[in-house]
Amino acid sequence: MTAVGTSVVRSDGEAKVRGDAIFGVDLAVHGMLHARLLRAPVPAGFIRRIDTSRAAASPGVHDVVTGADVRNDRTGIVVSDSPLFAADYITYEGEPIAAVVADTPELAEAAIRKIELEIDETAPVATPEQALSPGSRLVHPAWAEFDIAGGAEFARGGNIAAEILSDPGDIDAAFAGADHVVEDSYRAPRQYQAYLEPKMALATYEAGRYTIQVSHQYPFRIRDRLAQVLDVPKSAIRVVGHHIGGGFGAKLDLGLEPYAAVLARRTGRPIKMVNTASEERLTAPCRDNATVKIRSAVGRDGTILAQDVDVVYDSGAYANNGPALVSIPMFMYGSIYRVGTVRIRSRMAYTNTAPTGAFRGVSGPYLVFAAERHMDHIANELGRDRREYRLASLAADGHKMRNGQALEQLSILREAFDLVEEHVPWAGSGQGQQSNGKLRGIGIAAAVWLTNPAPGQATVKLNEDGTLTVVTAATDSGSGAVFTGLRQIAAECLGLAADQVTITMPDTDVAGFDAGSQGSRTTHVAGRAVLDATTEVRKRVLEKAASMLEAASEDLVIEDGDIHVAGVPDMRVSISQVAMAATFGQGPIVGTGSYTTPPPPHDPACTTGMLFSTWPTPTYHVHYAEVEVDPVTGQVSVERYVIAQEVGRAINPDAIMGQVQGGVAQGLGYALWERMDIEDARYVQRNFETHGLPLACDMPEVEAILMEHPEAAGPYGAKGAAEPPIVPVAAVIANAVSDAIGAPIDTIPITPEAVLEALER
Amino acid sequence: MQFCRAHSLDEALELLGQWGGDGCLLAGGTDVMVQYNSGAITPGAFIHIEGIEPLSAISINGRTTLGALNTHAKLAADGDIASRHPAVARAARLVGGWQTQTVGTVGGNLCNGSPAADLAPPLLIADAHVTLTSLNGERRLPLDDFFIDRRATARRPDELLTLIDLDPVPPRGGEHYVKLGRRGAMDVAIVGLAARLGLGDDGNIAFARVAVCSVTATPRRIREVEAALVGVPLEAGAFAAAGQALVAAVSPIDDARATASYRRRVLPGLLERAVLRCGEDIRP
Repeated sequence: MTAVGTSVVRSDGEAKVRGDAIFGVDLAVHGMLHARLLRAPVPAGFIRRIDTSRAAASPGVHDVVTGADVRNDRTGIVVSDSPLFAADYITYEGEPIAAVVADTPELAEAAIRKIELEIDETAPVATPEQALSPGSRLVHPAWAEFDIAGGAEFARGGNIAAEILSDPGDIDAAFAGADHVVEDSYRAPRQYQAYLEPKMALATYEAGRYTIQVSHQYPFRIRDRLAQVLDVPKSAIRVVGHHIGGGFGAKLDLGLEPYAAVLARRTGRPIKMVNTASEERLTAPCRDNATVKIRSAVGRDGTILAQDVDVVYDSGAYANNGPALVSIPMFMYGSIYRVGTVRIRSRMAYTNTAPTGAFRGVSGPYLVFAAERHMDHIANELGRDRREYRLASLAADGHKMRNGQALEQLSILREAFDLVEEHVPWAGSGQGQQSNGKLRGIGIAAAVWLTNPAPGQATVKLNEDGTLTVVTAATDSGSGAVFTGLRQIAAECLGLAADQVTITMPDTDVAGFDAGSQGSRTTHVAGRAVLDATTEVRKRVLEKAASMLEAASEDLVIEDGDIHVAGVPDMRVSISQVAMAATFGQGPIVGTGSYTTPPPPHDPACTTGMLFSTWPTPTYHVHYAEVEVDPVTGQVSVERYVIAQEVGRAINPDAIMGQVQGGVAQGLGYALWERMDIEDARYVQRNFETHGLPLACDMPEVEAILMEHPEAAGPYGAKGAAEPPIVPVAAVIANAVSDAIGAPIDTIPITPEAVLEALER
Repeated sequence: MQFCRAHSLDEALELLGQWGGDGCLLAGGTDVMVQYNSGAITPGAFIHIEGIEPLSAISINGRTTLGALNTHAKLAADGDIASRHPAVARAARLVGGWQTQTVGTVGGNLCNGSPAADLAPPLLIADAHVTLTSLNGERRLPLDDFFIDRRATARRPDELLTLIDLDPVPPRGGEHYVKLGRRGAMDVAIVGLAARLGLGDDGNIAFARVAVCSVTATPRRIREVEAALVGVPLEAGAFAAAGQALVAAVSPIDDARATASYRRRVLPGLLERAVLRCGEDIRP
C-alpha cells in the first residue's frame, strides 16, 4: 500500500488557498443577464394584488415573471407540495413571489422594489405544537391533492407532512410492572448550515437543452428535479458542477436553478442568480427544530424493560426530504442499548416557516442528544455510574434494530468505550468546583451512524503517459473525498502515486449517475465504483503487458509505474508503453464501475410508510467531553474533547481528522452557541452577528482515536467517516454541563442564561 | 451619495459645516459601513477623515490626551497606554477582531453612540473629557455628558470630536475592564464593566470609579456603586452591598444578545471580578 492510508495533499488545495479556484459565484459567460427574486415579506397571507408594470419599465429590465407567467405546478422530492412561486397564498417569509431579469443584479434589485404587492396577512402557524393542536389552521388546505412524487405511500394528513408509528403493542404492561418510570422531554432548535458561498445558478438554454452551471452537492438531483419542475425529459438538462463553497446538506435540492432555467429560456440569454447572505439565512433548509419525549420503564436491577418515544419535527412550509427523515428514530432508539420493547411515534409538522432540510447527520444530533441525556437520567435515578450503566446496557453483536436489521459488529462500541478510557480515565476526571471557582463536569455518549448507500458510477481512463483520469459526477464539498480519496483509491489499484491520477469536475452529460456528497457516501460508494473501474483497467493492462512480455498475466507485478515478471526484474515494460501499445493496437484502455450498497436484511413489515428502511454500513462512535462552567456568567468552556470513531479504513487520515475537527466544531456550535430562534414564524437572529457561530478561539483540540475494522464491500475497507463526528456532540456536552452544575439541561443550545437558571433551581 | 475626503482638520470642519446633518463622518468605518449597507443610514455624503494625521497623536502632560483617530490596535499596543491606562488597553484588545481593531478608532467608538462601546467604560472611570471642534470654535465636556441616549450624543452635526483627555491610574491604584461576550472574540459586549480603585493606608478601598456599557441605553458611570465600595476591604465576598447597589442603580436593556434578567444576574459577580483584579495590580 502506498497511496491508501497516507495523508496525500489534496489536488484542489493550492488553488483554493491562493484564491485561484473558480467557485459557482465566480462564473461569468458572454451575454449574461442577472435575476433577482421578490421574496415574501410575511410568513403567511393571501396575495390580493401583484402589479409588475413599474418593475417592467424600470431601467435595464429584460423580463419580469410571477407564478401566472410560468409553469407553476407543485413538485417535490417526496411530496409534490412546492410551487415555483407563491401565486395565491404565502407559506413562509422569504418564499419567492416574482423574478426580475436585468443587466445587473443592482438594476434587478431596484426593479424588484417597484413591484406592487398587496397581501392579506394571516396569523401564521408558527410552531409544530400549534400545527398539531386540534383545530389549527392548515398550512396547506389542499394537502390531499398533493401527489406523492416518490411513489411509495406513507401516513400523512392535514398539518402532518409525514408520520411513522411503530407499536409492538406490549409496552403498557412493561410500564405497569416497572420499578422506575423515567420520563423526559428534550428540545432542540434549528441549525443553519452557515456555508460561505451563497446558493447560485447560471443557466443557458440552447437548441432545446438547458445547461445549468452550479456549485452543488448533487448535480444529478438538479437534473432530475428540474426535469420535474420544467416538465421536460431528464436528457434535456445538463448540469455542470464547479468548486463548492460549503454545503453541509443545504445544497442537495433545488435552489435558484429552476428560476434561472425558466428565465434563460424566456429571454434567450444566460441568466446568473446569486442569493444574498440574508436570503440564505432566511431560506436555507436548516436542520429541523424538534421535540423528543422519552419515557422508560426500568426494572429493579436497572434493566430497561420498555421505551416510549415521541418525536415531533418542524418541516416548515414544505416537506422536502422530511418524510424520509421521520424514519430515523427507528435506528436511534433500541439500537445500541438493550431497552426492551420500543414504541416510536415520529411526526413531521408543516408550519409557516422556511422549509427545513438536510444538514450533516440529519436528525441524529438531537435524537442522540435525547437518547443519551435520558441514559444519564436513568443512571442517576438508579444511583449508577453513567459510564458503567451504559456498558451494562450495551447490546451484543447481532442485536436487532427496530427494523429487524442486525448490527453484526456492535461490540466495536465496547472497544470504543475502552479506547476512550485508556486515553482519559473516567474516574480521574476531576469533577466539582475548581480552585478558579469554575464547576467541572464530564460527559460521555455513544452512537451508531450509517453510510449513505445511494448509487455512484465511475469511468477510469488509462492515459498514454501511464497516468489515470477518473471521470465521475461525485462532488467534493470540501471534505477531500473526491480530490484526495477517490484519486488515492485509483492510484493504489494501479500501483501509482495519487498525483498521477486526475479527476473530473461533475458534468451530467459526461459522467454516470452519482448521488452526491451526502451521508459520508463518496469514499465508500463512489470509491467502490472507482475501485471496480480501476480494477478493470488493471486487468487489461496486465493482459496487454503479458502479451508484450510474452509472459502469463498472473506472473506480472505492477510497481511504481512499471510492470515486470515476478522474480525477473529485467523483463519489464512501463504502464505508459502498455497504454501506447494498447491505444494504437486494440484501442484505449478504459474501465467502468457502478455500485450501490445493497440493503441489509431487515423486516419490511416492522412498520408502514418507512421511506428510509435500513441503516447500511453502520459505523460506531463514542465521544467524551470535559467542561468548565462559570457560575458567575453561566458560560461553558470545553476543556477537553476525546472521540473514538470507527472508519473501516482510513484512506486519508489527515482528511478524516479534518472532518472530525469540523464535525465536532459544528456540533459544539449547535450545543452551545448558535441561535436560530423563531418568534411569530420569523427568525429572530437575522445576521451572523447575533447568530453566534463559534470561533477558532472557542474550540478545544479534538483528540481522536480512529478505529479500523475494514468493511469487505468498501474500497480497501473504507466506510463513511465525514458526517458522524457531529452526531453525538450535543449529547456529550449536555451530559457534561448537567454533571457540572448538578441539574439537568434538556434544551439546546445551552445558553448562559439557561445554565444560571438551572443553577438557581 | 458623495464621497468627500478631508486631508486636514480645517477641510473636515468645512465639509461638516457644508453638509451638516446630511454628512456622515467616516473614519475606520467598522460600524458606519454596516449601517450604510443595511440601509439604516442614508447620508448625502461620507466625509472621510481617516487621513488627518494630527488626530492620531497621543500626548502626555499630567493627563493623557488622545487624538480621536487613534485606532484600537494602537491603543492596545502603546506602552504609555498600557502603563497609564491598562483598562483602556485591555478594552481596545477586546473590541471585535483584529480587523476591526486595526481600522476602528476611539473617536468612532464614542461618536457611534452604541450602548456597547467597549472603550467608553475605561474612559469614563478615567474622568475622560471630549473636545468637540467646529468652524465656530471648540468646547470640552465630560464624557458622561457626551452620551445622551442610544445612538444619540451631544455632538452637533457640524462638530468633530477631536480629542479625548483623561486621568492616568493613580499611585496605589489599579483598574480593569471585564467584557462578557458569548465567544472568545468578535462579539458585541453583553455586559462591559470597568473599575478603578485606590487603596487607603488601612488597605481598604479609598476611592472607586465604576462604569458599564451594554447595560443601559448609554455607557455610564454608576456613582451609587462607587460610594458603596469606599471603605470596603479588598477581599472576595466583601462586595455584596456594592453588587446590590449596582443592580438597584440600573434598569438593564433586553436585546437579542441577552435578557435584562440575565444582565441583572451577572452584574454583581462581574463587579467583584473586576474589583479583585484591580487589587492584583496595586503595588504596595
